[in-house]
Amino acid sequence: MSLEDPEPDAPARVEERSPDELAELLGDDIIDREQHLNAPGYVIRPDAVQDVLSTLRTDAGYDHLSCVTAQEYEDRYESVYHLRKFDDPTQEVSVVVPADRESPVSESAEPVFRTADWHEREAYDLVGIEYDDHPDLRRILLPETWQGHPLAKDYDQDRPQVVPLRENANPLQEDTRSEQDADTMFLNIGPHHPATHGVLHLKTTLDGEQVADVESDIGYLHRCEEQMCQNGTYRHQIMPYPDRWDYISAGMLNEWSYARAAEDLADIDVPEYAQVIRTMCAEMSRIAAHLLAVGTFALDVYGDFTAIFMYAIRDREKMQNLLEDISGQRLMFNYFRLGGVVWDLPEPREEFFEKVRDFLEEFPTALEEYHDLISSNEILQMRTVDTGVLPPEVAKNYGATGPVARGSGVDYDLRRDDPYGYYDELDWDVVTDDGCDNYSRLFVRLREMEESAKIIEQCVDLLEGWPEDDRTIQSNVPRTLKPDDDTEIYRAVEAAKGELGIYIRSDGTDTPARFRIRSPCFSNLQTLPEMAEGEYVPDLVAALGSLDIVLGEVDR
Amino acid sequence: MIGLLKGMATTMKHALDGTTFTVEYPDVAPEVSPRFRGVHKFSQERCIWCRQCENVCPNDTIQIVQDDQRNGEQYNLHVGQCIYCRLCEEVCPVDAILLTQNFEFTADTRDEFVYNKEQLKNVPWYKGIDPLNSREPDRGAWIGEGDGEIDYQ
Amino acid sequence: MAGGVTPLQGGMLPDTIAGLLPFGGLAADVVASLLGAFLIANFLLINTAFAGPWAKRKITAAFTDRIAVNRIGPFGLFVIVADAVRLLSKELIIPEGADRPAWDLGPLLIPFSALLGFAVIPMGSGLQLADPETGLAFAFAASSIASLGLIMMGYASNNKYSLLGGLRAVASNIAYEIPLIVTGISVVLFTGTLQMSAIVEAQRTALVSVAGVTIPQWFAFVNPFAFALFVVANVAEVGRNPFDIPEAPTEIVAGYQTEYSSVYFVLIYLGEFIHIFLGGAIAATLFLGGPAGPGPAALGIVWFTAKIWAFFLLTQWLRSAVPRLRVDQFIEIGWKGMLVLSFANLVLTAVIVGVITTL
Repeated sequence: MSLEDPEPDAPARVEERSPDELAELLGDDIIDREQHLNAPGYVIRPDAVQDVLSTLRTDAGYDHLSCVTAQEYEDRYESVYHLRKFDDPTQEVSVVVPADRESPVSESAEPVFRTADWHEREAYDLVGIEYDDHPDLRRILLPETWQGHPLAKDYDQDRPQVVPLRENANPLQEDTRSEQDADTMFLNIGPHHPATHGVLHLKTTLDGEQVADVESDIGYLHRCEEQMCQNGTYRHQIMPYPDRWDYISAGMLNEWSYARAAEDLADIDVPEYAQVIRTMCAEMSRIAAHLLAVGTFALDVYGDFTAIFMYAIRDREKMQNLLEDISGQRLMFNYFRLGGVVWDLPEPREEFFEKVRDFLEEFPTALEEYHDLISSNEILQMRTVDTGVLPPEVAKNYGATGPVARGSGVDYDLRRDDPYGYYDELDWDVVTDDGCDNYSRLFVRLREMEESAKIIEQCVDLLEGWPEDDRTIQSNVPRTLKPDDDTEIYRAVEAAKGELGIYIRSDGTDTPARFRIRSPCFSNLQTLPEMAEGEYVPDLVAALGSLDIVLGEVDR
Repeated sequence: MIGLLKGMATTMKHALDGTTFTVEYPDVAPEVSPRFRGVHKFSQERCIWCRQCENVCPNDTIQIVQDDQRNGEQYNLHVGQCIYCRLCEEVCPVDAILLTQNFEFTADTRDEFVYNKEQLKNVPWYKGIDPLNSREPDRGAWIGEGDGEIDYQ
Repeated sequence: MAGGVTPLQGGMLPDTIAGLLPFGGLAADVVASLLGAFLIANFLLINTAFAGPWAKRKITAAFTDRIAVNRIGPFGLFVIVADAVRLLSKELIIPEGADRPAWDLGPLLIPFSALLGFAVIPMGSGLQLADPETGLAFAFAASSIASLGLIMMGYASNNKYSLLGGLRAVASNIAYEIPLIVTGISVVLFTGTLQMSAIVEAQRTALVSVAGVTIPQWFAFVNPFAFALFVVANVAEVGRNPFDIPEAPTEIVAGYQTEYSSVYFVLIYLGEFIHIFLGGAIAATLFLGGPAGPGPAALGIVWFTAKIWAFFLLTQWLRSAVPRLRVDQFIEIGWKGMLVLSFANLVLTAVIVGVITTL
């Protein structure tokens, strides 16, 4: 789509303004116009960010700040705010905020969108842009003592960053948070704690057993995946890495996020047959990921020896066997390729279809068992109903997506709203629940697995009847892929945890100039204080479990 | 209360039916798929030293040393660093490098995971499954891909 | 030791031993008491050795469709030895700022209190150390000493998780001990005595006799409601799921035992398992006729062991399927639910006793 020609056949569920109308709305704040592949871009004055974003939000309805991308050019810094609508995510706008090369400062978007808080902190941390008016501009992924900004151009990669212990804060000191309130107790939950699902550190202030304040400290698993992808070639070397963001069997979904962005960037077609295979594999991954989410949530709430966790692991194991048959690996699939998938379904096909059908046949019984064990259990209901409440408006403000948003009644699913793959041809429903609590999020996951099973079943039917001479699994993609110079794109897919978006800027070479990952867990985790404050410690743990974060994706 | 009892009945059912899902490894060798990607096997006879595997490797796991005549001297692969993406096998035009199904490898130090070409040649096939044969039906997928557009640098 | 010698149990164990000794007098009494205590304690420790490293793994594995320990010895039984060596040879880490000697005494108190409680339990086959007239009160009192150990450990560890765990342990013990004891007293209403042997004896008479099958007057059959209440309170008292609030590994790591390793860890676990068995033993004595069962009276110990293991199995079963309560709900259920129900049960029992005595 171009500036003058907005896509005519977009589903007009929400009133859409043309780029020119939007430009008029924003008036003098605009200093230039750009065209990104996914959306019109408006370059605005660095001190008008809040004005522009609140105008776009209240007057034009762009209520979802899905991502903030910061990058450094030869002559300037730039923050790109990717806005879209919860009601119709195909309507997108990019707000580009340039910042001075010498002193990169621009206004913070945090007062308009709470989700900008962490995104801007990350931009400050990795790229080095400072945000005026930001309430708490500190490093977020790297330690406080880090020198330099790793994604900045003048950063010296070889310089060792050794910080002696004495320069770090002594964790044994400072027992109460504030001098005035000696009744509270400061408690470190994590980074090594049975319920943090990885190396997450929660700085918690307790009043008795109630949580007075909680602050997440992330970055223990930071590997600068964005930089690793910037060093890899489009054609081959990036694809193995998405598996390692959300490494809990959701690899296929992650791979699709990169595949979708890169295919749109380089204008690569994907054969329909490959799209069906992709859809099937993605939903298999989703079931595997949700099973683990349900199992670990049970672990958090039930106690350490609950059988539910092992049953979930057992069913996930069956799914992993299927995925191994298809892709050759159990977690790090590396199965998608630009323009298709690497392999056709395993031979003999009948045997494979049989296995999938066996799983699908047993799966409703297994789900019934989970409902018996979990959702119909009175004590679990006592524990989870009306705890960890996340109202829909708060969820939107924090950019929460996926089962977390859908558990708060936000009807947002990119598979349906921004269709890709083969989803729009299939018959399935988006599951939402208005409960807004821990129970709703759990319930949404359980129900989503049913829908995924429905999708897989339809895909198997399609694949079984697919004509043999039309089984193209990859389109013709040049071995060295060099997208056009200075093209920008932001594309997202519905991963297991929510909207997994990829921003790529190409510079005419075979590696991306900027590769940004919009991780759903990163945004979802931000809502934890809203859910946990005022609750008891067990509910904090349950809320964290219901968010289903994977630290590999939070920290990237 | 009924939900509670239903849950307890479910676990008791599992306890009494006596079925187990876990495998007694290493007494029972687990089944792996024909496509499973394990430790590499290298064939010097086939290799034409085109260095494509070295180029495609995302994290510099493969190191090739050639003399000034471009004849291969060394082929080193760090199986401990490898991420088993199988791209080397995918780009290899002559099947000189293959990923076997063998996932059992141990060493005392990291250095021992750097396999030279002799060690790579001696990697056994898992359960005697020849990875090349087991993948034969699927190989059309990447061989002959990109008509006329393959650039061997 | 004014114990009514009942036909079922034979004499008190120390008396039996004293009779076998070649010398008499005070020395014989002392030696016999020590030997008897040694015997009983070792019997329990053997049970615990089976329960901890082996049975618990096997049971959990059965619930979760796994195989569990099967490598060393028949059915993997020798893992008990392997685990003992492993646990005892680990480094004992003493945290900085630990409040000693409270930190060292806590882990000792737990197995001590649980073992002490067994002194008055009639285990059948003549295995009973003492039979004071206040036996039931003694058993409850002894098992409550553990709370002191828990709060000592929680406070002395200099760890916030331990402190939370210790406080939770005390809160839960207070909240559930009262319903436990009140429910126990309902049994005393039947028997009119606190003496353990007399309570067991009272349950030997037949309740009903249908077609040659005699159902004994076990109080679990007379008043099932009291039994259910007692079991629930008992599970809470020994701190098992769904009431394992003081440990709650996914919330406060492991509560009061966070900082303990090696030998102290073993002592704590030993204490917890013996505590479960003690809970089972009190329940068995009060409600399930103690060592009573079919067959000759000499089999009493077998039936008694089966009953305490059944209670152990129940705790493991609950653990597999029942979610842990939140701490405030737990306390609320204790004070607002269990306490009220236990007093209601007391009234109900009084009515039942009245009916039985008038019949």
